[in-house]
Amino acid sequence: MEIYLYIALFAPLVGSLFSALFGASPKTKVTGIVASGLLFVSFVSSSILLSYVLGGHTVHVEMMTWMATGDLYIPFGFVVDQVSVVMMMVVTIVSTVVHVYSIGYMDHDKGFNRFFSYLSAFVFSMMVLVMSDNFLGLFIGWEGVGLCSWLLIGFWYHKESATWAANEAFIMNRIADLAMLVGIFMLYWNLGSLQYDVVFANITTLPVVVITWIGIFLFIGAMGKSAQFPLHTWLADAMEGPTPVSALIHAATMVTAGVYLVVRANPIYSEIPNMGLFIASLGAFVALFAASMALVNRDMKRIIAYSTLSQLGYMFVAAGLGAYWVALFHLMAHAFFKALLFLGAGNVMHAMHDELDPFKMGGLRKVMKGTFIMMTLASVALAGIYPFAGFFSKDLILEVAFVDHHYIIYSVLLFTAMLTAFYSFRLVALIFHGEERYKLFGIHPHEAYKFMLIAMAPLLVLAIIAGAFKGSYYQLVTSLLPSGEYHVHSIATYWIMTIGTQLLVLAAIAFAYKKYSSWSSVPDGTSALEQSFGYKLLANQYYIPWFYEEVFSKTYRKLSHCLWKEIDLKIVDAMVDGIAGVVYKTGEKTHKIQNGNLSDMLRWMVIGLVILMLFAVGFSVLAMFAQAQVEFVRIYIGELVLGIGLVLVAVSVLLVTYHAASIRKTGKGR
Amino acid sequence: MQEHILSILIFFPALAAMLGFVVHKDSAKAYGVTVAAIEFFLSLWLWKIYDPAGSGMQFQELAPLISQFGINYFVGVDGISLFIIILATFFTMVGIASLTETRRLKDLIITLLFLEMTMVGVFAALDAIIFYVFWELSLVPMLYIIGAWGGPLRIYASIKFFLYTFTGSLLMLVGMLFMAFLHYKHGGVWSFSILDWQAMNLPVNYQMWLFGAFFFGFAIKVPMFPFHTWLPYAHGQAPTIGSVILAAILLKMGTYAFVRFSLPMFPDASVLFMFPIAVLAIIMIVYTAMVAYAQEDIKQVVAYSSVSHMGVIILGIFALNVEGITGSIFLMIAHGVVSGALFLLVGVIYDRRHTKLMSEFGGLASVMPRYATIFGIMMMASVGMPLTINFVGEFLSLLGFYKQSHAFTLVAGTAIIVGAIYMLAAYKKMFFGTVTKEENKHLKDINRTELMGLIPLVILAIWLGVYPKPILEPIDKSVKELVVLMHEKARTVEAQKRIPDLTKSAQEVH
Amino acid sequence: MEITLTHYLVLSTILFVIGLIGIMRRKNLLLLFFATEILLNAVNIALAAISHYRGDYTGQMFAFFIIAIAASEVAVGLGLLIVWYKRTGRIDLDQMTSMRG
Repeated sequence: MEIYLYIALFAPLVGSLFSALFGASPKTKVTGIVASGLLFVSFVSSSILLSYVLGGHTVHVEMMTWMATGDLYIPFGFVVDQVSVVMMMVVTIVSTVVHVYSIGYMDHDKGFNRFFSYLSAFVFSMMVLVMSDNFLGLFIGWEGVGLCSWLLIGFWYHKESATWAANEAFIMNRIADLAMLVGIFMLYWNLGSLQYDVVFANITTLPVVVITWIGIFLFIGAMGKSAQFPLHTWLADAMEGPTPVSALIHAATMVTAGVYLVVRANPIYSEIPNMGLFIASLGAFVALFAASMALVNRDMKRIIAYSTLSQLGYMFVAAGLGAYWVALFHLMAHAFFKALLFLGAGNVMHAMHDELDPFKMGGLRKVMKGTFIMMTLASVALAGIYPFAGFFSKDLILEVAFVDHHYIIYSVLLFTAMLTAFYSFRLVALIFHGEERYKLFGIHPHEAYKFMLIAMAPLLVLAIIAGAFKGSYYQLVTSLLPSGEYHVHSIATYWIMTIGTQLLVLAAIAFAYKKYSSWSSVPDGTSALEQSFGYKLLANQYYIPWFYEEVFSKTYRKLSHCLWKEIDLKIVDAMVDGIAGVVYKTGEKTHKIQNGNLSDMLRWMVIGLVILMLFAVGFSVLAMFAQAQVEFVRIYIGELVLGIGLVLVAVSVLLVTYHAASIRKTGKGR
Repeated sequence: MQEHILSILIFFPALAAMLGFVVHKDSAKAYGVTVAAIEFFLSLWLWKIYDPAGSGMQFQELAPLISQFGINYFVGVDGISLFIIILATFFTMVGIASLTETRRLKDLIITLLFLEMTMVGVFAALDAIIFYVFWELSLVPMLYIIGAWGGPLRIYASIKFFLYTFTGSLLMLVGMLFMAFLHYKHGGVWSFSILDWQAMNLPVNYQMWLFGAFFFGFAIKVPMFPFHTWLPYAHGQAPTIGSVILAAILLKMGTYAFVRFSLPMFPDASVLFMFPIAVLAIIMIVYTAMVAYAQEDIKQVVAYSSVSHMGVIILGIFALNVEGITGSIFLMIAHGVVSGALFLLVGVIYDRRHTKLMSEFGGLASVMPRYATIFGIMMMASVGMPLTINFVGEFLSLLGFYKQSHAFTLVAGTAIIVGAIYMLAAYKKMFFGTVTKEENKHLKDINRTELMGLIPLVILAIWLGVYPKPILEPIDKSVKELVVLMHEKARTVEAQKRIPDLTKSAQEVH
Repeated sequence: MEITLTHYLVLSTILFVIGLIGIMRRKNLLLLFFATEILLNAVNIALAAISHYRGDYTGQMFAFFIIAIAASEVAVGLGLLIVWYKRTGRIDLDQMTSMRG
C-alpha cells in the first residue's frame, strides 16, 4: 500500500516539475494533459487507499529524516488514516476536475504552462498538508499552499490589484503562521515530540492552561488559513486570481485546511471545551458576517467567496462543538458544490469577457444552458435543499447546535441559512434570468468548451448525491474521530425543525427570484437603497479593509520610513559619524602644535614627560594611601619624595621657559 | 597530507595569489577559478575525511611561534567550523566564476584569494592570536575591494567599515590579552590556545568584564544593533563580489566567534546577558526589517535583511541549548547561501542597468522570466519557506529560544511576518506590474556565466532545506559537546538551570 | 659628612634640569647637542650611583651603554649638522620647519 501512498503524494509534484520544464516556452497542451493525467493517477491511488482504509487498516510510512538535533526528531512521515483519506479524496477529485477544466479555461493565456506548474505544486503541498504524520510536516504543506496561493493569486502579475492581493494573502497568512509556529514550539517543549500519535496520547498529561494556550495558538493559525474574522479580508481579494484557482484553492481545499487542523487536533480541543465554544461562536459570527456582505455585493466571484467564508464558519461551529465528523462532512460536501459554483462562474466570466458584475448580465440561460443548470443545482445544494449534499451536511450542523443547547448559535445559523439561499439565488437570477442586459455592453456570450462542462460533471454528481454517503462516511471516520449521533430526541421536534428550515430556505429562494429574476436596469449607485447607510456598510465590507489600510498598512509604512530616515540615519548613524567627527576635529584643531619647529617640539616633549611623571607619582601616592603594605613604596619613600621634588622643579622650569618664550616672541629679543 | 590539510587550505590560496602576479592578464580569471575550485575540492575532501563520530577538534596542527607567551600556530576544525570553511571556499569559487568586473580583474582575483586565506584562517584558528591576526587581515582585502572597485562613496564606506570593525577588534584584543594573563596567573604559563581558555573556570565578575570586551568586537562584526550602520554603506558601495563575500562569510565571523569564545568561556555571563542580548536581537530583527521595507534601493533591502536575519542567528546562539545553537549555526550557512545569492542577483540587474533603484524597474517578470524565477526562489528561501535552507535554521533557532522565553520568541517570531513584508514588497516593485521604462523592455535574461554561479546556490538552498541531515549531524555533535562543557562550567544556579544538562537527560531516556 | 646616595641623586637632578632648560631654551643646534649630553650624563650619574649603593652592576652596565650610544649619536648628529650647515649656512632651529604638520 505504501507505493500507492507515494504515488498519490508525488504524482502532482512530478506534474508540477514537468510543467515547470516548459515554463519559459510557449504554450503547449501537453503540460495541461500530463499534469491532469498525473492528478488522475493520484486520484486513483487515493481511491485504492480509501478502499484499503475502509477495510479498517491505516498506512503509516516514514520516508526519511528531515531534522534531528538535540531531542528534536522530525521525519518526513506520512499517514493515511480515516481522516486524511477523506481529505485526499476531496483534494484529488476537485483538483483533477479543476485541472481538466483549466485546460480549456486557460486556453488563451500565455502563462499556460506556468499555470499548471503552480497548480500541481499546490496540490502537492495540499497532499503534504493532509497526509503528514506530524505538526511540522503539516506546517510544510501549510506554508507550501500559502506560497502556491501567492503565486496563483498573482498569476496575472501585470495587474496591480492581483499582485497586491497576492501579497496581502501571503502576509496575512504569515501572521497566523507565527501563532501556529508558537503552538508547535509549545507542543515540542511540553511533550518532546511533534508526531501526532505521541502528542495526542500524552496531551492529557498537561495542565489545562497549557493545553488552552496550545489550542489558542493553533487555532489562530487555522484562522489565517481559513480566513476567519479578523483575518478574513484576504479571501475576497484573492478572487483576483484565475477562476479555477478560486475554485480549487479558495473554495474547496486550502481554506478548509484550518478546519482540517482543528479536526485533526481533536484530542487537544476535546480537552478544552471552553475554547471549543469560542471557536463555535466565532464560526457562527463569521457565517452571519460573511453572508451579510454577500447580500449586496456586485462582484460575482466575491459573492461566492463570501459564501465560502460563511460556510467555513459553519464548519468551525461543528468543529468547535465537538462534532468533528460533521465538520469534516460539511467540508467535503461544500468542496464539491462550491468548486462547481466557481467553475460555473468561470464559464460565465469567459462568456462575458471577464465581466464580473451580475447586474450587467441577465438572461444568459438561453446561451449557456449547461452552465445554467450546473450553477443552479450547485446553488440548490449550497442552500441545503433536500436531497442535495448541502441538506445533509448543513442541516446537521444546525442540529448539532440545537442538540447541544446552543440556541443562540442555532438561530444565527438558521438565519444565515436563509441569507445563503437568498444571495445564492440573487446571483443565479441576475445572471441567468431576466433581460439580456449584456447587450447594452456589446458582448456576445458563448458557452464554454464541451469538455469543460464534462469535466465539471463529476462535481455536479457529487454535489447531488454526496449526502447518500453519510452512513458509510460516518462508519469510516468515527473510528478515529469522536463519534456522536446528533439526533433530536423528540421526533416531532425533528420534523418541525427540518421542514421548517426547508420552508424558510425555499421562501428565501422565492423572494430572491421574485426580486431579481426580472431585473432590467444596471444600478448606478443613485437609488435610495444604495444610498442607505446599511447598504454602504455592507458594500464596503464594514469598512474593515479601509480600516486595515488606514491603520495598519499606512502606519507601518510611515513608521518604517521614519525609522529609516529619522532614527537609523539621523540618530544611530549620526552618532557613529559624530564620534568619528570629534576625532577628526580634534586632529584639525591640534595639528598646529606640529609646526615643524624643533624647539617647540622639544618643549612639548618635556611637557609630555612631566605629565607622565605626574601620573606616575599620582598613582604611587594613591597606592601608598590605599595599601600601606605595598613594599616598595615604603622602602623607596625617599626616592618618591625626590621624584615629587623633581617634578615640581620641572614644572616651574617649564613655566619660566614658556614665560620667557612668550616675552621673546612679543619682544623679538634674543 | 591529511594531517596538514588545514594548513594547506589556509595557505594554498595565499600562495596561489602571489603566483597570480605573474599570470597574464587575460588568463587571470581562468587561473582564479581553477585555484578556487581546487581549494573548494580540498575543503570538500576535508569534509570527507572529517570523522563525524569523533569528538573535539580534528586535524589539529600545532607549531610554536612565541613559546614564552604560549603563542602557537594552532589550527583545527569541529562540526561548527567545518561547514563555514566549506561555505567560504564555495563562495570564493562561485564569486570568482561569476565575476563580471572588467577593471583590473587580475588585482581583484588576487585580492579575493588573499581574502580566502584569511577567511579559512579565522574559522580554523584555535589560537587566539592566530584568530586575531586572520580576523584583522580579512579587513585589508575587503577594504581594498570596496575602496578600489566600489561606487561613488566608496572611500567613505571603506574607511567607515575598516575603522568601525577595527575599533571593535581592539577591545577584543584587550580581552584576549587579559584572558592569557589570567591563564598565566592561574596555571603559571601563558596560553593563547582557545581550548585552554575554554577549560578555564573563571569567577562570574571576571566573566562579565571579559564577555563585555569580546562582545564589542563580535557585535560590530555581526553587526548587531546599534553597531550596524557601517553595513548599509559597505554593501551600498561595494562591488557585487564584495557584497557577496561580506554577507555570506565575513559577517559570520562575528556569530561564529560568539559560539567559539563567548559561550564556552563565559557561560555564566552568557546567561546573565542573555536577555539584554535577546532584546538587541529582537530590535535587530524587527527594526531593520522595517527599515528594509522603507528602502528604495534593492541592494539596501538585501543589506538590511541581512542584519535582520543575523538577529535570528544571535537569538539562536543565546538560546544556550542544543536546538537553538545548532539552528543558529545552520542558519549561518543558510543565510550565507541565500544572502550571497541575493547579492549576486542584484549584481545581475546592476550590470544591465547600472542602477539599483527599485522605482527604475517594474514588470521585469515578463522581460527576464528566468531571472525572476531564481530571484523568487531565493526570496522565498529568505522569508523562510519550509523545504528551503533558511527554514531549518530559523525554525530551530526560534524553537531553541522558546525554551528560554515565550514572550521574546513571540516577538522575535514576527521575523517571519516583517521579513515577508519587505521581501514581497520589493519583489512586487521590481518584477510585477507592466514594464514602464523603455530601457527595461529589451533587457537580456540571465546569461550562462551568471547561471553558473546561481544554479548551484539554488540547488543548495533547496537540497539542504529538504535534507539538512548531513550538515546538521556533525554540527549537532559538536554543539552537544559545547553545551555539556557549558553546563559543567556554570557556576551560578541560574546558569545551571538555563543551560540544559545533557548527561542527565540522556540517562533519563535510557 | 658622608656622601650618600641622595647627594648623587640631587646632583643628577640638578644636571638633568640644566639639560632640560638647555633643550628648551637653546636655538642653536650645536648647543642642543651639549644639552642632550648633559641630560644623558645626569642619568649616567644616577645609574652609576644607584648601582654602587645597591651592589648591582646592571646600572653601571647601562651607563656604559648610554655612553656608547651618546657617542654614536654625536657622531651621526654632528655629521648631519655639518651637511645642514653646508647647505644652508645656518644652524638655527627656528629655520628648520620642514616637518610642519
